[in-house]
Amino acid sequence: MISSYLTLAAVLFVIGLYGALSKKNAVIVLLCIELMLNAVNLNLIAFAKYGINPSLKGQIFSLFNITIAAAEAAVGIAILIALYRNKATANVTEMNSLKK
Amino acid sequence: MLENFIDFLSNGENLLFIIFSMLVIVGAVFLINLQRVVHMVIALATTFISLAGLYVMLDAEFLAFVQVLIYAGAMTILMIFGIMMTKHEKQNEEPKRALHNVLLLVGSIGFFIILYLAIQDAVFPIQEFTSNEENTKMIGIELFTWHVIPFELVSVLLTVAFIGAIIVAKREED
Amino acid sequence: MESVFSQLAWLIPLFPLIAFVILIAIGKQGNKWSAYISIGAALLSFVFAFLVLFERLNGTMDAYTWDEFDWLSFGDISIRLGFEINNLNAMMLIVVTLVSLLVNLYSKAYMKDDHRITVFYSYISLFTFSMLGLVISVNLLELYIFWELVGVCSFLLIGFWYEKESAKAAAKKAFIVTRIGDIGLFIAILMLFWYMPNHSLNFTDIHNAFSTNSIPIEAWVITTIAILIFVGAMGKSGQFPLHTWLPDAMEGPTPISALIHAATMVAAGVYLVARTYDIFLASPIAMEVVAYVGGFTAIFAATIAIAQNDFKRILAYSTVSQLGYMIMALGIGAYTAGVFHLFTHAFFKALLFLGAGSVLHALHKQDIREMGGIWKSMKVTTITFAIGALALSGIFPFSGFWSKDAILTEAYHDNLILFIVGITAAFFTAFYMTRLFKIAFLGSNRSSDKPKESSIVMTLPLIVLCILAVIAGFVFTPFNPWLGEWLTGNVVEEHTNWIVMILSTVVAVAGIVLGWIVFGEKSVSQSAKSRNWAYNVLANRYYVDEIYEWTIVRPLRILGLVLNTIDRFIVDGLVKLTANIVLATGRASTRMQNGQVQTYGLVTLIGFIIIIAAMLGRRYF
Repeated sequence: MISSYLTLAAVLFVIGLYGALSKKNAVIVLLCIELMLNAVNLNLIAFAKYGINPSLKGQIFSLFNITIAAAEAAVGIAILIALYRNKATANVTEMNSLKK
Repeated sequence: MLENFIDFLSNGENLLFIIFSMLVIVGAVFLINLQRVVHMVIALATTFISLAGLYVMLDAEFLAFVQVLIYAGAMTILMIFGIMMTKHEKQNEEPKRALHNVLLLVGSIGFFIILYLAIQDAVFPIQEFTSNEENTKMIGIELFTWHVIPFELVSVLLTVAFIGAIIVAKREED
Repeated sequence: MESVFSQLAWLIPLFPLIAFVILIAIGKQGNKWSAYISIGAALLSFVFAFLVLFERLNGTMDAYTWDEFDWLSFGDISIRLGFEINNLNAMMLIVVTLVSLLVNLYSKAYMKDDHRITVFYSYISLFTFSMLGLVISVNLLELYIFWELVGVCSFLLIGFWYEKESAKAAAKKAFIVTRIGDIGLFIAILMLFWYMPNHSLNFTDIHNAFSTNSIPIEAWVITTIAILIFVGAMGKSGQFPLHTWLPDAMEGPTPISALIHAATMVAAGVYLVARTYDIFLASPIAMEVVAYVGGFTAIFAATIAIAQNDFKRILAYSTVSQLGYMIMALGIGAYTAGVFHLFTHAFFKALLFLGAGSVLHALHKQDIREMGGIWKSMKVTTITFAIGALALSGIFPFSGFWSKDAILTEAYHDNLILFIVGITAAFFTAFYMTRLFKIAFLGSNRSSDKPKESSIVMTLPLIVLCILAVIAGFVFTPFNPWLGEWLTGNVVEEHTNWIVMILSTVVAVAGIVLGWIVFGEKSVSQSAKSRNWAYNVLANRYYVDEIYEWTIVRPLRILGLVLNTIDRFIVDGLVKLTANIVLATGRASTRMQNGQVQTYGLVTLIGFIIIIAAMLGRRYF
């Protein structure tokens, strides 16, 4: 049963990865990153029930994880809005200031 | 073959797993493929709620609740706000990054194959965690006895992050 | 008498070296006065050389040797540098410094319009330094270093007018052909180093080892060493079959031809053989090789000289021929006679070349068919040249007569074939010198120019050399064999051989008379028509250059072409491929650095996959 959850998490993670690297809209990129985080959470919870050393620790860890993800989403959206204000675009491909 | 499949589905838990995982994947795929940004967020919400269902199946009722509350509730709303505050055309113009996309597809599939092989390769014990009726209570005890320092640190972090987010997003008046 | 000046002999090469350094440093700004530095250095060297010679004349026979400078030491062996003064190289010192001084002086006028005169003088100084260093070297290795330096100077000076394609080619040819000889010499040095007791290369030790036959070296080894040394001498002294570079070397400025390619450097080969004479004496086979090569070269070059039309080329072949004489003399055991001929030849051949330079300077052409009638306007040049030519032809009482006679006398006693060869060569020598003199200097003026006598700076060296060409012979006559005693330390019994003397005079006079009759005014105009096969063979220098072209140069060039192709397409291709791969990788990486986070993420992903795949692969294979 555990491998089914893990495989599902892998599918979710890869879809999130693909979206994060292919989408042009910065908001969607953030959403895809959330997707990847959720895949990780699913893994942690699955291990909490079916792992080698099952305990509640996995659930608590994923709780922290969700908190971090919330913080990340908030900061991400804030940065996005600030960027949009300065550059008038939410397009990831135009955010190439690193090159300059 | 078919009998095995029916046999597999006749188990209620398996059936539920199939339904939820289908919903998760479909939501994720829709997130990638839908045209309008608002639709994408709704697809994502579907995924989050289905994940909450899976958490319940994994005896993590509290986390399922948190998932619905934070992801499906707060974060989705946050994203919709983000979308509303920036301008979005329909993503109908195809991006011109053919090589990038091909490589990305190959890379993603390769990565999935590696993960899949690793999962198939691993040996897991059959033992099962004895399901606790009072999941929320146990988490609370655990959290405030053994993990109180990380808990407080995370709360500080969250506060800092939100204040930071407000400062970053604030219009620079002068 | 104390050997004060011998101890100071190391100063002699130092002056030209200092002049060279100064001249190289000042460059073009010194064009006005660079000549004086070089002349001054040559003068100082000459004065010191003269003092050394004077001391040797009064002193003992013992050589003064100093070799305290440790250059290389490995194990118990150490190679030292130093200098040695004995009678032979005291004589060489005076010859080199004197000719060098006169040529320096002469060049002042000859080269005055050249804009690279400073460079020219720096080369001459470098050459003088190297030649003097070669002469006073204490061991073979040191000699070899200077030997190569001299070769480099020769290369530089032949190619001095490098704008001329022919000068460039001649310089390269000289360098490469002498190189072949140098390799022979180098192998000989290595073999000597291997076989000599204590691995000593000192001339004194070589002398002691070989003259007493005390060392356990097999006969064939000695022969091989001697012949290899002779190969080196062959390259430098232009002996057959390595003679071809010397006539081409005439592309250089004429004072250089006089200094390097007539009086000093080409004599280095003869000097080398004389210096290592004990090795040759220990091997009869090597002696015969030396004698026959010398004899053959003498007659071979003399015949070629008859059919040449270039003023300097005739003299060049004459030089080759006379060097053959010296080599032959050494080969038949006439050590003193050979060295003596070297001594006299230096003066009269330098005189002839400087005279040629004087004519060339006035007429700006080298073909003798376009000259004629020079005597009317260039009296000093004509007279001095005539004396030089008579000395070369071996007419009594000029110096060439005595030295040539000394060689022929020895040959007469030793080897009749070589005697006949020598006397025939003497006949040809007189013949072609008469031809040269009559066509170039006498008769009517066939050139459009009006020649003017050269300035005193140019004629003064001519006069000095002319006097020497007359009197230099009297130091070693059958009646007064002083030089022989001085050089070898043995009392030479007087063996006046009237037959040889009369015969050689008769032959020389016959050559002159025949030449005078054959080469009249008409011969110049009709020579084109009257060519027969013999003339053609001689005019084309026995086709030696062509034979080399077909047997050596062409196959080597084809080989070179093949190798070049391999190099260009295979080796270079690989190199370029590597470079291009790196370049392409670089370009690709540049494209990756486009500032887009998604690209960076993709690259990270692919890199991660590759690492995982590699680790998995390592596990499975």
